[in-house]
Amino acid sequence: MKELSIGVSGINAVDNPGPGVGVARSLKEDASLNARIIGLAYDAMEPGIYMDWVVDRSFIMPYPSGDGGAYFDRLAYIREQHGLDVIIPNFDAELPLYVKRASDLKALGIATFLPSMEQFKLRGKDKLAEVAERMDIKLPKTKVCTSLDQLISAVEELGLPVMVKGSFYKAYAAYTSTQAVSHFHALVAEWGYPVIVQSIVSGEELNVIGVGDGEGGSLGTVGIKKISVTALGKIWTGVTIKHRAMLEAANRFIRELKWRGPFELECIVKGDDVFLIEINPRFPAWVYFATGVGVNLPARLVRAALGVDQPPAPDYEAGKLFVRYSYELVTDMVKFQQAVTRGEVG
Amino acid sequence: MQRLHQLALSDEGFVFDPQTGDSFQVSETGMAVLHALKAGRSDEETAQQLVADFDVSLEEARRDCTDFRSQLKNFGLA
Repeated sequence: MKELSIGVSGINAVDNPGPGVGVARSLKEDASLNARIIGLAYDAMEPGIYMDWVVDRSFIMPYPSGDGGAYFDRLAYIREQHGLDVIIPNFDAELPLYVKRASDLKALGIATFLPSMEQFKLRGKDKLAEVAERMDIKLPKTKVCTSLDQLISAVEELGLPVMVKGSFYKAYAAYTSTQAVSHFHALVAEWGYPVIVQSIVSGEELNVIGVGDGEGGSLGTVGIKKISVTALGKIWTGVTIKHRAMLEAANRFIRELKWRGPFELECIVKGDDVFLIEINPRFPAWVYFATGVGVNLPARLVRAALGVDQPPAPDYEAGKLFVRYSYELVTDMVKFQQAVTRGEVG
Repeated sequence: MQRLHQLALSDEGFVFDPQTGDSFQVSETGMAVLHALKAGRSDEETAQQLVADFDVSLEEARRDCTDFRSQLKNFGLA
C-alpha cells in the first residue's frame, strides 16, 4: 500500500488519556498499512506531539466549535500541504461535527468511518432504553429528567442510592436526596439538560471494544475486565475475557443498529445478566489492548474507510493481561517552541 | 457446571475464569478437587482420591470436598 497519511486526535496521553496514541501505535504496528501519523492536538503539551516514533507530524487545531469552519479550514490546509487520506477522531466532543461534515471531508479526499447522525444520537444516555431493547439486554432502571421536580420524583421512584449522570460526561453516585439535588445542579450547569438518574446495579464491570462495518457486520470485538483503575477511573491493568452474553449483545448492537465505526460498550454483568451502562461512539483509551491480542481495530477501520477488502475479524485469547505504565522522554525545547509559535511540529 | 469446565488451571494453583476475568489461588488439595470435578467425578470418588493422594482420613476428605464445593457455589462456579 502507498504511504497513507492518517490524522488522529486525542494524542493527550496524560493521566486521563485520550485514545489517540493507542490508535496511532496500532496503525504503526500494521506495517502493510504504511501509515504516516498526523497528530491533531489542541494543546502544545499533549505528549503525543513529542512521541516521534508514533506520531510523525503534529498540528495544533482550533476547537471544533460552532459550525467548525476554522477547524475544517485547518484540516484542508493540512491535506493540501502534507496530505491527509483518513481521519480517526477520538474525542466525543469532535464527533457530531465530523459526522455532520463527513461528506465535505470526502469531497476533500479525506475518508472517515463514522456512524450516521441518527446512530450517533441513539447511543446518547437519554436513548439507552431504546438501544438496550434492540440489543435484548437489560438497562438499570433509568429516568430522564429535565427539571428539579422530575429529579426528585425519579429519586423517590428508583430509591437510593442512584447514579446521577450528565447527558454527555460525568456520573456521580448519590446516597441521599440532598446529594442527588446537588449533583443535578452541577451537571446542569456544566452540560445542560437532560440529567439521567439510574438505579445502581451491583456486579462485575466488563467492557467491549469493537468496530461495526455499517451493514450489520463486525470488524472485530474484544471483551475485557478492568482489574485496577486510577483515581480518575481509568484502566491501569486489565484482562481479556470471553463473556458469551456480553459479546453476543455487542454483536446484536452492531447488527441491529448497523453501527458504522468504533465503539465501546460499558456493562455491568451479574451471572448471565448483562446491564448496559454506556455506549461510547469511539475507541476507548485502552484500544491498544485489542491490538496487542491480535485484533488491530484501528487498522481494520482504516481499510474499511478506504473500501479495501479484508479477512473476517480475527479471534483472541481470554486471559491476556494489559498493564499500563508511566514513562518519560527527553527532547529539545525547539519542538515545544514550534508547537506554540507555528502550531505544527515534525 | 459449564463455568467450572471453562476454568483455566495452572500447575501452580492459579485459576482463571475466562468468562468474568476473575482469578483465584487454590492449594494443592484444592487443585486436586477442581481437577476431579472437571473430570466429572462424584464427591465420594473425589474424597477417595484425596485419601489416596494425601495424608487425610476419608471423613476429613469428604468434609473438605463439601466445603470446597460450597465455596465454588458462592463464586457462581458450581
